[in-house]
Amino acid sequence: MNDFSEIENELMKLRPVQLSHEFAARVEQAIADPESREGKIIGPNRFRINRVALGFGLAAAAVFVLLVRVTTDRAPGQGEKIAQNSPAVGTKSTLSNQFIPAGATQVVYNTRDEGLHFADGSEAPMRRVRYQTHETLRWHNPGTGASIRVSYPSEEIVLIPVSGQ
Amino acid sequence: MDNVATDKDWKVCFSQLGPGLLLFARQWVRSRTDAEDVVQEAFVRFWRRNRNVDNRALLYATVRSIALDLIRRDSRRARREAQALSDSEQAVEPQFDFADDSQCALAAAVDRLPHDQREVLVMKIWNELTFGEIGAALGISQNTAASRYRYALAALKKSVQLR
Repeated sequence: MNDFSEIENELMKLRPVQLSHEFAARVEQAIADPESREGKIIGPNRFRINRVALGFGLAAAAVFVLLVRVTTDRAPGQGEKIAQNSPAVGTKSTLSNQFIPAGATQVVYNTRDEGLHFADGSEAPMRRVRYQTHETLRWHNPGTGASIRVSYPSEEIVLIPVSGQ
Repeated sequence: MDNVATDKDWKVCFSQLGPGLLLFARQWVRSRTDAEDVVQEAFVRFWRRNRNVDNRALLYATVRSIALDLIRRDSRRARREAQALSDSEQAVEPQFDFADDSQCALAAAVDRLPHDQREVLVMKIWNELTFGEIGAALGISQNTAASRYRYALAALKKSVQLR
């Protein structure tokens, strides 16, 4: 560290700009005024927005699944006319209506530590970690061999209590 | 009763820490007015909760978190400001009171440091935090904080020697 003592001394000679009287007065007023009390660092609306976005994503995925299902349900109906005398086709037709969940994956492609925050009404700080993920749900129809895959981005915020100090 | 803070207490704390906090906040918001807003919100909130500044790491973490929230809240405006700053370096308000030209050049070199090194340097030199406190505030290890500090000093030393 001795190598740097000279530059450290030079840096210490630099004086940050002093506080203005107006600013000090503003802070004094804010401390004295209970009306100006701020609830917390994280506004609850941030979470609401994220949940709404997630809700829209899931709703869109559900609509997509329904539409795709309607489309695939029509295909065997046309096929029935071609092979209407075969009882085996009838069995397959029943099976073709059944899409079975085949799997779900969640890929976390970004994690961001957003530092310490005070959660709503909490005295203790919490660490906020934001996960950005890409989720994929899959369904498979064993009767027809058809499969449906729905992918959508999602974001999750996790608050981890911080202890110690 | 020991915890009861008087009017004088916060004024003393604020006058001592205020300039350093303001310098710290200005790393994210380049206008002095925005930095003052951040420091005001952080300090008032912190003081109401704690009535002292013993836990300085948490105070700086609060400033940082509010500054980052401000950026996210108003990212379009931040982009415009960043664009304006890149277009015109002269528009940047000074963050130090300069005694001579060499100090001005040193301050400019500080400003050019990578952000992660600069925030450690600002907390260490002008806010006199320990590496432990810096690590706690930034969510990094003490060794990482010390290492970033050394990198910053090395870069500044090189920059000064080049002049």
